[in-house]
Amino acid sequence: MNDTALIKAAQKGDANAFERLLEQYYDSIFRFAMKWSGNRHDAEDIAQQVCLKLAQSLAKFRFEAQFSSWLYRIVINTAKDFHSREQRTATACVATPPAVDTGAEEAVILLHQILNKADSWGEGFKESLLLVHGEGLSHAEAAKILQVKESTISWRLHQVRKKLAAWQSANRCGD
Amino acid sequence: MNDDQLLSVFAKADEIHVDENKKTQAINTAIAEFSSAAEQKKTLNLFQGIVARLRPIFSQQVNDGRKDMKRENRKFVFGGVAGAAVSTFAWLVFVGNPDQVVTVEGDVNPAAQGQEIAATPKQSPVKFEDDTLRPENSDSISTLSDPSGSSENNSPPHEEADMGTQVELATEVEVAAELETAVDVSVDKVASSAPKQAESSALPSSMATTMAKSRLPAADRAPGANFRHAPTSREASAQVVPIPLPKPIDTLPANGYSEEGRDQFESLAENDVKLATEHPVSTFSVDVDTASYSFVRSALSRGVLPQKNAVRIEEMVNYFDYDYPLPGSRFQPFKPTVAVVDSPWAKEKKLIHIGIKGYDLAENTRRKVNIIFLLDVSGSMKAADKLPLVKQSLSMLLNVLKPSDRVGIVVYAGAAGAVLEPTPVSEKQKIIDAMNRLQAGGSTAGGEGIKLAYQLAEANFDKAAVNRIILATDGDFNVGIRNREELKGFIERKREKGIFLSVLGFGRGNYNDHLMQSLAQNGNGMAAYIDTLGEAQKVLVNEATSTLFPIAKDVKLQFEFNPATVVEYRLIGYETRRLQREDFNNDKVDAGDIGAGHTVTAIYEITPRGSSQRLVDDRRYDSKAPVVGRDDEYGFLKIRYKLPEADKSQLITHTVGVENQQNKLSTALQREINFASAVAGFAQLLKTSKYVGDWSYDKAIELAQSNKGADEFGYRTEFVQLIRKAKVAEAM
Repeated sequence: MNDTALIKAAQKGDANAFERLLEQYYDSIFRFAMKWSGNRHDAEDIAQQVCLKLAQSLAKFRFEAQFSSWLYRIVINTAKDFHSREQRTATACVATPPAVDTGAEEAVILLHQILNKADSWGEGFKESLLLVHGEGLSHAEAAKILQVKESTISWRLHQVRKKLAAWQSANRCGD
Repeated sequence: MNDDQLLSVFAKADEIHVDENKKTQAINTAIAEFSSAAEQKKTLNLFQGIVARLRPIFSQQVNDGRKDMKRENRKFVFGGVAGAAVSTFAWLVFVGNPDQVVTVEGDVNPAAQGQEIAATPKQSPVKFEDDTLRPENSDSISTLSDPSGSSENNSPPHEEADMGTQVELATEVEVAAELETAVDVSVDKVASSAPKQAESSALPSSMATTMAKSRLPAADRAPGANFRHAPTSREASAQVVPIPLPKPIDTLPANGYSEEGRDQFESLAENDVKLATEHPVSTFSVDVDTASYSFVRSALSRGVLPQKNAVRIEEMVNYFDYDYPLPGSRFQPFKPTVAVVDSPWAKEKKLIHIGIKGYDLAENTRRKVNIIFLLDVSGSMKAADKLPLVKQSLSMLLNVLKPSDRVGIVVYAGAAGAVLEPTPVSEKQKIIDAMNRLQAGGSTAGGEGIKLAYQLAEANFDKAAVNRIILATDGDFNVGIRNREELKGFIERKREKGIFLSVLGFGRGNYNDHLMQSLAQNGNGMAAYIDTLGEAQKVLVNEATSTLFPIAKDVKLQFEFNPATVVEYRLIGYETRRLQREDFNNDKVDAGDIGAGHTVTAIYEITPRGSSQRLVDDRRYDSKAPVVGRDDEYGFLKIRYKLPEADKSQLITHTVGVENQQNKLSTALQREINFASAVAGFAQLLKTSKYVGDWSYDKAIELAQSNKGADEFGYRTEFVQLIRKAKVAEAM
């Protein structure tokens, strides 16, 4: 059964189909949340909330967009809500890019720092960066998910790249 | 940092491993939510289609009559304004060129004008246009077109346009009459725009043609549109016409307020541990209510733990139907089944299960039913889970009643009124129509409504039938009898006359559980809380006979513990049903009722002598010698009940031996008892009871899951899901 069939079955109330859908997507939801939030605990909470939201609103999915795009939008909104509620502070500071052998956990921490920085530079920078570089989407796809123009995404990424370089060379940490 | 580095960071971060436990947990939670969402969806879908469209509830319906009316109103007003603007413009042009058509006006227009003003809303607009206006108008057209010397082909559009506007005006009049709103204003507008319209026909024909052309689409559209809409608005207004009440019920704005967090529960301390030597006798009344379980379920479905006071253990346990052995005949209406098993949550303690199964009436031996529905239609009942659910629930109940049964409807809001005289169920459509006309609005005069319902029930009292009032409300009685004691006294006196009261609670946010409970208890009825259509199905259809037909009333239990074998005991639940020891033999003291087929379960937790888990130590200066004798019995159970029509009570007794029946019961009974223990344990966890030790939700799931049995209606499966939800809610 492919995704569309699964979604359609789940929309008709088939709990098994819904379970398989979640089984399939949970990992990517969780990974995205992990990159977004920078710590496992929050990411698990976010992923669970996304699952709950899916349960409530899967019926509203109308196949007008790709399911993954729709899902990204839910994850981003949930993560945003989560953090505006929690007001989490930034985690530890890792100044240098990880060497090849450093663990995934450390990469996440660094990434979180970069993303937070990007977030502070402007509205939507974090999302754009995550979708394009993290998820490997094209600018057009990211634009659809974030409901902005494609050029906006390109501009954001350009800004991020420019500022990241400056920031990294200054090698400041945590501000 | 360059792109490559960034990508490598991302790639690294992607390698993070997923915690499988958390994944399973998240998925399970979502599935629980998914099932309940699916259930809700079913509820919503049930009455869709034409019925939903006609249902006079404003909120949440896209296609409701009110919007139609609004649209009609708006179209009418805007149409009027636009028409007036065009005519004024025309008038100005005419004033600017007075020498062109002055004489024509005098001849034709007064007639047309008079006709138009004379057109009262009651006249048929089409006829009026055909008979009177066309000749006049065609005259005016011919006179008009001549002086200006314009070509012949100008006149047909002109005529058409004029007719069009007439038709439009006429339909507007009709619509205005039907709407019954803003009649004064609209008739004025029609009247004032009519002469101007007529004057506009006296324009220079070139101007008239342009106008005709510009007006043509509108004119073409208008009659069609109006005629198409006219029946709709007529239907809508028929639906919304106030029911013939003594006093009309005032309505709230569509976006009525919604109550949050004002649910009221009586606060009662959990039954504590008693010493068998000091208080050997425990007395309580049965309770067949289930309201607490539904309320807990509705809270957990929203992802929050219920208030502790909302959890009544016995009601949660009694929500489920247990497969206890049946009694033989209706003259011994029920039979106690007593079993002693190990307590699942406490070591070296035992549970004494007392299960009572009521005699089930065969379909053909049941008596006639005389029901008065007493419905709360106050503003607070507007929400989808209130009045609409009430209507759906009651329609379901109608389906299980027999054609000879009678149903009446009384409503109350700002005022109380009888909506439907008691009507035989054979005229079901009449009952449903009456119900569908109801809409919510106004404050709540519950007391007055109850009085009226009893009046109606008394007027139609049938000795051979079951006379019952079913009150459906969110429990907020804010007007009328304020004194609750007075209300209870009133219900009690009526109960003696043979009219019983059952209470169905709806909605949350403003639910007054305490009042509902005491009303039902005083009225010899049951209180149930209905949060979903599924629950309505359970209470009103699957258990209709239990809900409607009492087989025994004032059922009291008294358990005397044997201090020689029992050190301590604790009654689990029944806090609201405690009775004094002397009340047991006093037939004047009211107690709970059991309906046909009802099961009631009561559980005592006992600490046998010799257990190391006792909570209370022996007294050092105890003068009494340790009790001896009869150490093969835990205690003695007595049950008193009255048959529905009797005033004298009867007694059933049962001796409970010390033999541990843990593994000696039949598998079916063992399963039922284990499931009841799981429910009781779960309820105690929700109440954060101090007696369950480190027993957990997981243990409750395990116990319930392995004892679900056949579970025909899926209630037990739902219960397992409920525990899962509680687990999640607690973790949050």
